[in-house]
Amino acid sequence: MQTERLFDRIESIQFKGITKKYGEGFAVKELDLEIIGGELLILIGPSGSGKTTTLRMINRMIEQDEGSVTINGIDTKDADPVRLRRNIGYVIQNIGLFPHMTIRENIGLVPKIEKQNKKDIEERVKTLLDFVSLPPEMFMNRYPKQLSGGQQQRVGLARAMAMDPPLFLMDEPFGALDPILRKQLQKEFLKIKNEINRTIVFVTHDIEEALVLGDRIAIMDQGELVQVGPPEELIFNPANELVADIVDNQRKFKHMDTLKVKDLMSPFEDKYVLEAKMEACDAVDEMTDRDLETAFVFEGDELLGQVEIVDLMKCRDRGEKLSELAKPIKTFQPMDSVAFALSEMKNSGEYLAIVMNSKHPVGILVSDEVLLKLI
Amino acid sequence: MLSIQVIADVWDRHLITMRTIEHLHMFSIALILSIIIGVSVGVFIYMKPKTANPVLNFLNIVETIPDLALIVLLLPILKLGAGPTIAACVLYSILPIARNTYTGLKSVDEQYTYVAQAIGLSPREALMKVRIPMSLPLIAGGIRIALVFCMGVVTLGGLVAAGGLGTVLQNGIQLYQKDAILVAGLWTGLLAVLLDGFAGMIEKKLHERYGTW
Ligand SMILES: Nc1ncnc2c1ncn2[C@@H]1O[C@H](COP(=O)(O)OP(=O)(O)O)[C@@H](O)[C@H]1O
Ligand SMILES: [Mg+2]
Repeated sequence: MQTERLFDRIESIQFKGITKKYGEGFAVKELDLEIIGGELLILIGPSGSGKTTTLRMINRMIEQDEGSVTINGIDTKDADPVRLRRNIGYVIQNIGLFPHMTIRENIGLVPKIEKQNKKDIEERVKTLLDFVSLPPEMFMNRYPKQLSGGQQQRVGLARAMAMDPPLFLMDEPFGALDPILRKQLQKEFLKIKNEINRTIVFVTHDIEEALVLGDRIAIMDQGELVQVGPPEELIFNPANELVADIVDNQRKFKHMDTLKVKDLMSPFEDKYVLEAKMEACDAVDEMTDRDLETAFVFEGDELLGQVEIVDLMKCRDRGEKLSELAKPIKTFQPMDSVAFALSEMKNSGEYLAIVMNSKHPVGILVSDEVLLKLI
Repeated sequence: MLSIQVIADVWDRHLITMRTIEHLHMFSIALILSIIIGVSVGVFIYMKPKTANPVLNFLNIVETIPDLALIVLLLPILKLGAGPTIAACVLYSILPIARNTYTGLKSVDEQYTYVAQAIGLSPREALMKVRIPMSLPLIAGGIRIALVFCMGVVTLGGLVAAGGLGTVLQNGIQLYQKDAILVAGLWTGLLAVLLDGFAGMIEKKLHERYGTW
């Protein structure tokens, strides 16, 4: 059975008077919201504020008690749920790759059920793996448990794209990753977002993620929509205390001028360190084990630079040492000003820097697009 | 002691090659039927959870009937020959296979069934592509138990003219030929051990491939 496409592109998604109750409590209460075709709309708010419930009513994984959700004017109640879901890419935090299927089978599952031609599926899987920076020859036939968390998340994204849906629903897709890995995937996701140019509804609890990725941000609290608008509007015109709290939880924006690198850095951990004499192939396995996208190469105490797993996978067979492959990386002192450090990084197009206390690495500084906008 | 000469002699006189083929023939039919019925019952009681307890209780009662008694009970219905023996095998084997299928399906992490639904699998597709494959290690465990049951029951079948190695044993007992009893007994035992070992290997492979726990 080849399911017909419900829609080729999204004009708009409208929530009208949506209410969902569990027992006596409201998960979502009288929600009115329009999602505009082509935008990335963020849903953010405290835990239990109804974000996931809202998201799941779009693909009918949850049915509302009152109100209607329409996509391009079609009431979702009138659409067959299976068909609806095949037109919507879905990505969740815990990924949910099927452990008994290879990466190829995981990504190609729905196309196969749709009886697409074998060759086409194979081609599609390869294209998608390339798209999320995983060399297909290396990953197609592996099982999910042989992949690192970051790699699995990429496969989850590739799977969501398998049917080339015009709409994506993402529920904290990077929520389970450590901050640096999350940053890297966000950066990559931004690229993907610009390339695929689709409508995306994205749930997160990370305001930085929201500010970086979102075209518009909808803030929810206790099942109600508090404010929706572009990032600048929320920062400069918060509707209430809660919004102000959420968008600037660390009061960073107000103290931009006095903020130091040490206030923004993530702590340095030994797992980021690779020895200069290690070979590229071994480094790929090691980084997969340690769930790293980027590692820092040291020769004894001396920092040589950084390597990214995406680059190492390309030159896998040539037996090169990391000392030859390490790319330069900036270093800062803990007491340097953030404004200075971030603009330095921006000028050289780097998004990671190491914070050194005299000779010892103490932290990792990740560029912050939101702060950069304010400098 | 058993010499090669004695074994060869007994083997020929009692047509053990032919009996082994009969034996394995009955055994395979019984096992295949058991798997088909057992897995179907397991899937059925999983989909209609209200039926699970009554069905499993009933199968448990069947399980407590002594095997010889069960075969004899089936005689009037299915006449002499392989029928009663195969039917008895199947009746015994449904429980372990159905129970393991049911437990397997139930223990698949909710997360996976949720995702299957969310990416657009119909309930049936989710069952076929996700739940059943992920339950295979447990289902295989049930089949392995059934296999051991069936080897025993098929051997008993010799008593009701079902053929197979049981017939050799019975002849040996009636004619009081110790050698025949010994050869047939050892050979039957060895076959069971080999088949169980083989099934164990498959089960282990399935665990490696599909097992998440
Ligand atoms: N299946 C459920 N049964 C009962 N209450 C639920 C269920 N799902 C969600 N809720 C409640 O609904 C509210 C909103 O939940 P949810 O949408 O998951 O919030 P969020 O994703 O913003 O953390 C919460 O108070 C939660 O406890
Ligand atoms: Mg949630």
